[in-house]
Amino acid sequence: MADYTSLLALRGAFSQVGGHGILSHVPPYSLYLHIPFCRHRCAYCDFNTYERLEALIPAYVQALCGELRWIDRSFGQRLPVHSLFFGGGTPSLLPVGELGSMLEAARESFELLPGAEITLEANPGTLSLEYLQGLRGLGVNRLSLGMQSAQPGELLLLERQHGYQDVLQAVQWARRAGFDNLNLDLIFGLPGQSLESWRESLEMALDLGPEHLSLYALSLEHGTPMRAWYERGLLPEPDPDLTAEMYEYASQRLAEQGFVQYEISNWARRGQDGQPLACRHNLQYWRLLPYLGFGAGAHGYALGVHTANVLAPAAYIQRMQAAGDPGAAQPRLDFPRSPANASAEQPAQREQMGEWMMMGLRLTEEGVSAQDFRQRFGQELQAVYGREIERLLRLGLLEWRDRVGERLRLSERARLLGNQVFMEFV
Amino acid sequence: MSTNIRNFCIIAHIDHGKSTLADRLLQLTGTISDREMTEQVLDSMDLEREKGVTIKASAVRMMYTARDGQVYELNLIDTPGHVDFGYEVSRALAACEGALLVVDASQGIEAQTLANLYLALEADLEIIPVINKIDLPSAHPDQVADDLSNLLGVPDDQILRISAKAGLNVEEVLEYVVQHVPPPKIDPQAPLRALIFDSHYDSYKGVVAYIRVMDGEINSGDILRLMQSETDLKPIEIGIFSPGLRPVAKLSAGEVGYIATGLKTVRECRVGDTVTLASRPAEQPLPGYQKVKPMVFAGIYPVEGEDYDELKESLEKLQLNDASLVYEPETSQALNFGFRCGFLGMFHMEIIQERLEREYDLDIIVTAPSVEYEVVLRDGSLVRIDSPAQLPDEAQLVEIREPWMKIQIFTPTDFYGTVMDLVTKRRGVFIGQDYPAPNRVQLNFEIPLSELIVDFFDQLKSRTRGYASLDYQFAEYRPDDLVKLEILVNGEPVDALATIVHREDAFHRGQAVISKLKDLIPRQLFVVPIQAYAAGRVISRANVKALRKDVLAKCYGGDITRKRKLLEKQKRGKKRMKMIGSVEIPQEAFLAVLRYGDE
Ligand SMILES: Nc1nc2c(ncn2[C@@H]2O[C@H](COP(=O)(O)OP(=O)(O)OP(=O)(O)O)[C@@H](O)[C@H]2O)c(=O)[nH]1
Ligand code: SF4
Ligand SMILES: [Mg+2]
Repeated sequence: MADYTSLLALRGAFSQVGGHGILSHVPPYSLYLHIPFCRHRCAYCDFNTYERLEALIPAYVQALCGELRWIDRSFGQRLPVHSLFFGGGTPSLLPVGELGSMLEAARESFELLPGAEITLEANPGTLSLEYLQGLRGLGVNRLSLGMQSAQPGELLLLERQHGYQDVLQAVQWARRAGFDNLNLDLIFGLPGQSLESWRESLEMALDLGPEHLSLYALSLEHGTPMRAWYERGLLPEPDPDLTAEMYEYASQRLAEQGFVQYEISNWARRGQDGQPLACRHNLQYWRLLPYLGFGAGAHGYALGVHTANVLAPAAYIQRMQAAGDPGAAQPRLDFPRSPANASAEQPAQREQMGEWMMMGLRLTEEGVSAQDFRQRFGQELQAVYGREIERLLRLGLLEWRDRVGERLRLSERARLLGNQVFMEFV
Repeated sequence: MSTNIRNFCIIAHIDHGKSTLADRLLQLTGTISDREMTEQVLDSMDLEREKGVTIKASAVRMMYTARDGQVYELNLIDTPGHVDFGYEVSRALAACEGALLVVDASQGIEAQTLANLYLALEADLEIIPVINKIDLPSAHPDQVADDLSNLLGVPDDQILRISAKAGLNVEEVLEYVVQHVPPPKIDPQAPLRALIFDSHYDSYKGVVAYIRVMDGEINSGDILRLMQSETDLKPIEIGIFSPGLRPVAKLSAGEVGYIATGLKTVRECRVGDTVTLASRPAEQPLPGYQKVKPMVFAGIYPVEGEDYDELKESLEKLQLNDASLVYEPETSQALNFGFRCGFLGMFHMEIIQERLEREYDLDIIVTAPSVEYEVVLRDGSLVRIDSPAQLPDEAQLVEIREPWMKIQIFTPTDFYGTVMDLVTKRRGVFIGQDYPAPNRVQLNFEIPLSELIVDFFDQLKSRTRGYASLDYQFAEYRPDDLVKLEILVNGEPVDALATIVHREDAFHRGQAVISKLKDLIPRQLFVVPIQAYAAGRVISRANVKALRKDVLAKCYGGDITRKRKLLEKQKRGKKRMKMIGSVEIPQEAFLAVLRYGDE
């Protein structure tokens, strides 16, 4: 009886890549592991993360390992995985051993493909050489460092717990430990930030020789201290025109430095094979290919179903403990659902199309392809969105990449106006 | 039996406690059980409950066993107190023989206390004054009793003092009604005549007409005739308000009830019409109602052109339930097809707008309200315009006349200076003053209506910390030096944004409007110049900068659903804006042209 569900699930998995029906065509999956702990909550952060819950870490790691096993059982077969991402929160708060046990559970339950990308987000202030060597030893091969800014004043405003010196040190150690794929996160468009100070941060980031850069415009999210300061008039609103100038400046400067912009906020250098060292894990999101989320508040997407886990770490642990071991006696959940899910929704086809467009058009280089659309949804892109596309082409917000009718992407001008484009498709 | 009928309404200034008193009466008579009781239970519309204000009059029948041991049928109509809804009150009065005049014991006599009292006296009703809210620490019932006694010539000690909220002395009110309100004068033998004083639309029962039977009787099954519209109909049912609709077999002379006409279109059944029997029609219809004269006019347009028919239907149905609403089709260059609507005041306009949006689920644009002008042309002819867009070219004009109003402002004497200042700043002229009670003054002015409709009431309230009240009546048309203030968006004049202003104000107003619009018009994909133009020249200009940044931040952890929902929300917001040329303009912009800004 139980195997029947898995079979159905498998059939769904095939049809997602065009229904060839051969086992080897299960598309490689990506795994996201959420670590919801931080030493101190940064002033702009609205992520699902918590201070002073470190005591929960051992139980949390156990629960997360449990969830990894659970999902695997519900699928009934080891899914191939080509990227794994420890995100947070601050994954680097966890001892190497804890990260190791999660990786082990992942390897047990999934088929980690050779050359799989394994990324860990790290906070510059929390690292040491030994720690980084430990990570390499586990097989982590990509590091993403939250640098945010090189200006002490700005870091103070953001309530980051590190300085440029820590980033420099972290990068040196990472190189020594053998990391050859490093990302730095930077934030621009801060209240009161000048173009000059942004240029300086960017140069100082470039000086560190990263393979990859993510540049995010600050947004004052509800519920964050910075938003509250702004609402009480203690902070000026970031100037959108200046923010745009910062972005344009960065695009130009990074191009000069040989970076390829492949997404609205992401740039990568070319690797030895000439291909940009894009983040494979994030590409999975933007291409709306299947990924599974583990841990508190983690999101997954597979077989057209969006799952979201309960937010609070304690609740998450409780859920997984109550679920127990995914033995044969347990009632099964349909893949990709997990006992930790707070919701699992399958949007209607039209909404899925909108999601696919909204995510895919973020890819500034490759954009979205009419052929992929046809394969995935069995309809013509032009038939579904002809009018919208026509309008956006006329407004100069979209362009055909090579040949008319094949690949659609944002025009250069539209990169900071993405919502005006995405909106047309949802 | 008919001698045991009492028809009365409750009238008062806004918030003096009419609906709360109605609650108590409904409870005392067991019409509504304690379990079903909510506060101001007769305010059944969502909007009324939210705003805590009665908008519609509502009728209800109660059975009361009085101290004399007899059972009386009491038909009560609760009325609104807001100045804009005087017409609602006057229609209710025609169905009654008596009125409870409720006065707040701490506020005393206010503008609509008098206005509604005069309406009731004109309708020849027996007035029963009631002082309410005596439980309040700030109550001074002796003073108020004195004032009322002077006003009505009723001895102090015969004026009831109650607390509707606490249920104090409320039973006494019912006894007064039984003793003092005369029973209806009726002729049961005469042919049927019933006055339609209100109505609403029900998708099952069609148009439901609220009636007061004056002569004769209606039996279910009778074929009825509407005398003015010359329509015959066989009602689906007849009934009473209890307070929900409750079918009965017969409605007799003197009683209040309803007829579910089954009519699906609304034209035939008009408020003020007389219902009679088709088999034995009356000779003369009842006097009916005077047509109301709207004070302010505004355009109502669907955001999406394709909703025009739906808007039209909704206005028709709304008019059934609000006889003071008038409208006719209108076209605007900027907004295309819509309706020019007339309202009794700004609050009325706001209510209509909200009802259209909520009860009929429409996305609409309401343009800046205007008064009706008389324009004298070079060829000697006179035209009336109620929209600035209709103003003929300046070269053809001899004179523009605008309506002036007589206003009475009631206020504690402390605020004398600030009220004077407000009125004179708005071209008002002082006429005289009265002292209706110690520490209170009634100031009489004349003022252009156009100055009154914009924000005046709010200003008055805020300057007097809520203590002042206001009543007004039309005085006459007077010429003044008026000009059209036009607004150009992206080089195009937008007719829906034009206003007529005094020449001396044009410069100041133009600047104020442009600086408002600059903030209200969201950034577009290109720079949008906006200009104010009057008397042949540009008064003020500004640019709405081009949109340069509009993109969601990073999608952490792959939460795609949230991203999609945010975009969907943004898209809905965009859809609610009106495209004028290639510029998206939000609803607020159309009203912004009226905001005075600094006062
Ligand atoms: N303290 C006190 N408050 C009262 C009394 N009667 C009414 N109120 C309050 O006064 C406010 C207005 O009461 P309503 O009954 O809605 O007044 P209304 O006259 O029907 O108002 P409109 O219909 O909007 O003109 C409410 O907050 C009531 O609770 C009373 O006897 N004592
Ligand atoms: S380190 Fe990252 S996740 Fe933690 S509080 Fe700061 S921004 Fe948020
Ligand atoms: Mg009321």
